[in-house]
Amino acid sequence: MKKIIKKYLKIVLTKTNILPYINTFKKIYNKHKRLYKTKKETLKKLKQIRLYKSKNIYKLINNTKVEVDINNHFVYSIDTLKQPIETNRIIGNITVDYERLLNTSLSDFENENNKKLIDSLKRLINKIEKEIKNSNNKYKEKILENLEEIKTSKATTLYSGMQRILFYNQVLWQTGHRLNGLGRLDKILQSLYEQDIKKNILTKENTKELITDFYLTLHKYYWFKSNVLMGDTGQIIILGGKNDDDTYFYNELTYIFIETIKELQIPDPKILLRVSSNNMPKDLIELAVKCIQTGIGCPLFSNDDVIIPKLIDFGYEKQDAYNYVTAACWEPIIPKYSLDQTNIMTINFLKPFNKMLANEDLNKNYTIGEILQKYTNYLKDYCNEVFCTLNKIEWQFDSYLSLLTSGCELEDISIKGAKYNHYGVNSVGLASVVNSIINIKKFVFDEQKYTLEELNNARKNNFNERNDIVDVLKNTENKYGVDNEEIINLTNYITGFVDTIFSEYRNKFNGKLKFGLSSPSYITEAEETDASLDGRKDKEPFTVHISTDSSNAYTELIQFASKLNYSGHRFNGNVVDFIVAPDFIENNFQKFIDFITLSIKVGFFQMQMNVLSSKTLIEAKLHPEQFPNLIVRVWGFSAYFKDLPEEYKEVIIQRALKNEGKM
Amino acid sequence: MLITNIQRFSLNDGPGIRTTIFLKGCNLNCQWCANPENISFEKEKYIKNNIEGIYGKNVTLNELEKEILKDKIYYETGGGVTFSGGEPLLHINELEPLLKRLKKQKINMCIETALMVSQENIKVVLQYIDTFIIDIKILDTNNCKKIIGGDINLYMKNIQTIFEQTQQVIFRIPLIKPYTYNKQNLCKIYEFLDKYKPLKVEIFKTHNLAKSKYESLNKKMIKIEEEISKAEIEEIKTNIAKFNINVEICTF
Repeated sequence: MKKIIKKYLKIVLTKTNILPYINTFKKIYNKHKRLYKTKKETLKKLKQIRLYKSKNIYKLINNTKVEVDINNHFVYSIDTLKQPIETNRIIGNITVDYERLLNTSLSDFENENNKKLIDSLKRLINKIEKEIKNSNNKYKEKILENLEEIKTSKATTLYSGMQRILFYNQVLWQTGHRLNGLGRLDKILQSLYEQDIKKNILTKENTKELITDFYLTLHKYYWFKSNVLMGDTGQIIILGGKNDDDTYFYNELTYIFIETIKELQIPDPKILLRVSSNNMPKDLIELAVKCIQTGIGCPLFSNDDVIIPKLIDFGYEKQDAYNYVTAACWEPIIPKYSLDQTNIMTINFLKPFNKMLANEDLNKNYTIGEILQKYTNYLKDYCNEVFCTLNKIEWQFDSYLSLLTSGCELEDISIKGAKYNHYGVNSVGLASVVNSIINIKKFVFDEQKYTLEELNNARKNNFNERNDIVDVLKNTENKYGVDNEEIINLTNYITGFVDTIFSEYRNKFNGKLKFGLSSPSYITEAEETDASLDGRKDKEPFTVHISTDSSNAYTELIQFASKLNYSGHRFNGNVVDFIVAPDFIENNFQKFIDFITLSIKVGFFQMQMNVLSSKTLIEAKLHPEQFPNLIVRVWGFSAYFKDLPEEYKEVIIQRALKNEGKM
Repeated sequence: MLITNIQRFSLNDGPGIRTTIFLKGCNLNCQWCANPENISFEKEKYIKNNIEGIYGKNVTLNELEKEILKDKIYYETGGGVTFSGGEPLLHINELEPLLKRLKKQKINMCIETALMVSQENIKVVLQYIDTFIIDIKILDTNNCKKIIGGDINLYMKNIQTIFEQTQQVIFRIPLIKPYTYNKQNLCKIYEFLDKYKPLKVEIFKTHNLAKSKYESLNKKMIKIEEEISKAEIEEIKTNIAKFNINVEICTF
């Protein structure tokens, strides 16, 4: 790699640490690999890569190349070959204060510290203006006005406001930020929309055209913006939501945003609908379900009735809690002024459990209570290791993000932090632990079918030639996801234990640590985790978020999820994940709407649905060319099925088969 | 009480979102039965994917009540509990205390029945049940006796008794050639529907989804010799609709 870098990157490699260069280069290389067919082609392109130090981010902006479209209402251009060197972790996965940006001009931000940066942004706008002037873009007069406005005044129309959001968003990507959320756009854009409608310079139809182009514009660099997997861009738009007087906020834009994505049928950007059992219009839920019914995997439902009180209890100010958005997947965060980093890593509940099974002398006559006690000891050690990892994190100097974050005008966000500076982790393996404990209780203690040692030996051998044990362990009625007191109490006991341990943690900004029961890592973490006493074999994927591996009734899973305790530090995204057969919603539409409406009242935390049939998926796996536009929900995002690695395709197929009762 | 299954989030067994209880034991023997595990009144061993199990589980009425009430909040929009089977009306004496308690708690109750049971049972159940979901199978006396082992005269008397008290009836017609789907039987069904107008009629083709259940019991499932076409089922729908009856083709 060093050779390639020397050859293709015209940078002076000093004797200082070149690892960040290599890592940054690798990242850019891997992304461009998605775009070009051959390695040769990719490497040729990569000759043009230029990397910049984070302190000199203005130089990067100054040197950005600009391209413009001709058939788009907006201009949006990312020079994918220019990126900052990642010497430290770049703060990402947040939503900046677009509302403030709409109401302020670039000149208003200027101070002694950021002059070079502001100048570079103005220069970038000038460069785009020049390109657009020379282009055949049919909206160029309007676009020029919109761009000029960014420099000099607040946004005056919906159209110019949207262009402004896109401009600042484009620079976020340009400067190395990933998983950039868009915020509550129906709320932020409301006054501009209403004013334009009143002035008769806009109709609902025009607005739909604008939003269509807005979506397509954000979707444009799909390959570059995608993080780990294609589709994982984190471009999330938050719609609707409870007000602090307990009324429900929504407007015409809420509907238009959903209608437009429903018609466009693209997997990214994605939308999230904040729901509440108080005064939410039924036709909004109906529209959302119709959108989900198309199979694009969104909107995800986020239940304000459950989430907001948890945010307030945790310590967010009331007005901020009511204004929450989510990070790329589901993790509730406060927009505008936060450094909340909610998806730093994944904790694996099963690792300490299996470690216990491996280390302890299982010949001893332990009671089930003692086993649980031992597990929590191992879990505590595991959490302490997590804390050590978190403490080592350094954040990259970030003048651009500081500019966009209220309160960070004078000192860099990476040093001083923002108003909120909490960390968050996701989790996997809890279902495996709960089911393992229940199995030990049933088969070792109650029924005495096996000894613990016998089970553990089979487990250590990956159940080799002991499929009889796998069948027994997997086919129990009582398991994670079942609406049963024992299971729910056990689950809450374990998360409660972690909650207590986490309450001792503070990061260097004095921020706290939260966790949730969903995670993107149900495959990658599982690949590093050996077999478990729920009958799961080595490397076999974990349960996806809050779901079951059998075809339980939807109401049962919702009741289970709603009885889990999300208080304290436990609210970092808790999504119930359903597979729904395509004609199921259509055949039972009204009853399905009742189900959603009543489930909000029952109190799920979040819910997402994948509408798909195993038959289509199996065909699409065999003949990807025949299904180029088939979209599926993966973890917290939607993607084209054809773009997924085979193991992810397989997990989705298996789940669809189980849902249809075919396994 | 011997049951085989409690199915929550049941959308096809009456109005709204329901919990369906499958009671074990039936006095008929329909060869196309979709729930063969509910015919015998005894527990039955089965083997499925090499795993042994038992169809049938004894539960107390208290346990049943607890399960039914778990989804109470979902019953708000017209849903409730449905007793199915087997023939649930054969268990009515055992079940009655539970029906009484559920009635007190205003839980909507449906019963899915073939109705070939003694009139006494019907009289008991009429005080509690909100909606009857009644099968229409074979209406000819001899064929009914011969093919499914049922007493059609008893059925007719029971229909009469129910319709004297309530119109809250959904008829369900399983269509299978040549047993229920034949010219003579269809004519009788139309005549019958002209006389007894229900809330709704649900018609459906019998399916082979229960095949694995038959296999698990080491029984053979009837082979459907001639499929009913879409046009044929549509024609039946049209014919029934002529009586001003709400009719629906079901796809479960």
